[in-house]
Amino acid sequence: MFDVAPSVKSWEDVPGPRPLPLLGNTWRFTPYIGGYSVEHIDKVCLALREEFGNCVKMTGLLGRPDMLFVFDASEVERVFRGEDAAPHRPSMPSLNYYKHTLRKDFFGAEENCAGVIAVHGDQWSAFRTKVSRVALSAGAAAQYTVPVAEVADAFIQRIRSIRNEDSETPADFLNEVHKWSLESLSLIALDTRLNCFNASEDSESMRLIDAVQTFFLSVGELELRAPWWRLYPTKMFRQYVAALDTILSVTLSHVEKALKEIKANGSSKSLLQDLVTAAGPRVAAVAALDLFLVGIDTTSNAVASILYQLALRPQVQERMYEEISKVLQDRPMKPGDVNQMPYLKACVKEVMRMYPVVVGNGRQLTKDTVVCGYNIPKGTQVIFQHYVMGNSDDYFTNASEFRPERWMNRSPAQKHHAFASLPFGYGKRMCLGRRFAELEIHTVICKMVQAFKMEYHHEPMDYHIHPMYTPNGPIRLKLMDR
Amino acid sequence: MLRNFVKSLSARNLRCSIKNNGVSQSFISRRFIAPLSTTEPALKAEKVKVTFIFHDGKRMETQANVGDSLLDVVVNNELNIEGYGACEGTLTCSTCHVVLKPEDYNKLPDEACDEERDMLDLAYGLTDTSRLGCQIILTKDMDGLEIQIPETINDARV
Repeated sequence: MFDVAPSVKSWEDVPGPRPLPLLGNTWRFTPYIGGYSVEHIDKVCLALREEFGNCVKMTGLLGRPDMLFVFDASEVERVFRGEDAAPHRPSMPSLNYYKHTLRKDFFGAEENCAGVIAVHGDQWSAFRTKVSRVALSAGAAAQYTVPVAEVADAFIQRIRSIRNEDSETPADFLNEVHKWSLESLSLIALDTRLNCFNASEDSESMRLIDAVQTFFLSVGELELRAPWWRLYPTKMFRQYVAALDTILSVTLSHVEKALKEIKANGSSKSLLQDLVTAAGPRVAAVAALDLFLVGIDTTSNAVASILYQLALRPQVQERMYEEISKVLQDRPMKPGDVNQMPYLKACVKEVMRMYPVVVGNGRQLTKDTVVCGYNIPKGTQVIFQHYVMGNSDDYFTNASEFRPERWMNRSPAQKHHAFASLPFGYGKRMCLGRRFAELEIHTVICKMVQAFKMEYHHEPMDYHIHPMYTPNGPIRLKLMDR
Repeated sequence: MLRNFVKSLSARNLRCSIKNNGVSQSFISRRFIAPLSTTEPALKAEKVKVTFIFHDGKRMETQANVGDSLLDVVVNNELNIEGYGACEGTLTCSTCHVVLKPEDYNKLPDEACDEERDMLDLAYGLTDTSRLGCQIILTKDMDGLEIQIPETINDARV
């Protein structure tokens, strides 16, 4: 331990909107009167930085710990680099309740099998270590290159068939992208093709699709609105629990299947089987559950957003198309292909810089920490504002311009702060599904650009928090066959 | 406990296995994930000499097994470099950042893969001959290798 240097200012001195007596700051997020809208937290944060500077305190939020918004990329870097062995990443109190109270018999039955989402400390660390080697090694995703490409082909076939007479995607296009995402993830996490694009009623696939949908509909409500479920099980909360139970039971049944196959083959042949072999069936099932909870709408919203941005930029598409054609030359995709498509990868990074699916990432401090020259007490939630930093000229030259090249040829003359844009986070708690998400995104974008010229002929869309950062409106893309 | 676990990981297996030319597809063999303990029954482990040079000029010389990664060497020899290898070789951090001499850097059999490059971008004090230690696998002809451990942000702050 070291003493706080005398130049360090105290927590009380951190600037920020003043909480009112009794009402705190919660009222600011009330519709119409508060001025701060949850849906437009992106703009709220831009304004907060403008008014208060690089480090803003938000206290007096009902039922939430005090928060510190950080807009300084170098401070983000310092906090990340100073992390201890088990950084605490705040997330979803409702899921926390599900895992640690409601279903503690299951999640607490074995040591360290509660998963990674809404789990902290040693328990998190032990689980993460078991899983991350299997899920994050660079080769882990490569084995799925061919099947993930097949799902992308099925997706393209599907949208070809649902385009309207103007060759435009229907208003609920995002829903189709969700199906693609669920299909890809089930393949990776459960070794199963669900056939989401034409699942029959009463099938296991349909049950899972419904459960995942219910989960997404309710989780936003439960987390963003007043937490009545803490007092009594509301209808929404009961649906939420039922959905989680369904997803868990499906993952468990697939783990059983995986166990049998490992016995029959004497070796493991997939991520799920690798997980079962390395960490046991319960850990594998919970890892799969966590992948389902946070790996579907993140990926699909990213893809929808990227497609929209590309549709606005025909020249970018042309350059991508050239690159793709040169690499693939009309043959099917194989592992390693995408690594030869630096422009495609750069385009994905550039969209995620300007429109990160998750606008901020956070840590709950496990010890008193100096941030931006203030002594921030243990327990504070520090939120790194990546949307604001990614779009700031302080960190990227001409930040408002879409320039994928900035990711390809770095020059010292160009500002580029690596910690300002971190769509997958950094360090010990980096996104556990990153390799799979990247494989899925790169593959489906590659296939889309290869198959279509994309255009957008409606009013330009703003983005909103829903709860992913996503275009606010129907994504009606005009898709013309190449 | 943690240290033992890291020790049992063969870094060779975590190495990026997709070459840029996409030719090497042998990674699909699942050998690299299945068993937890992959330390091969080394009948007679071949050793090479490696030297770590710290930012304050201090040198540390050690004998290392051929086939180990530099991260393994640090862990196995209990070199106690603070914060080194936080993510245990899963390419999610850049704490095992090392700087090589240009001639050594150019001799490495594998270039950094995209996953490593993404992480190197986040390394403190990146140079043209920077690599992540978890991705460098020692071979026989690396005997005498000198590895600079760059200053960290924590050193710089003092």
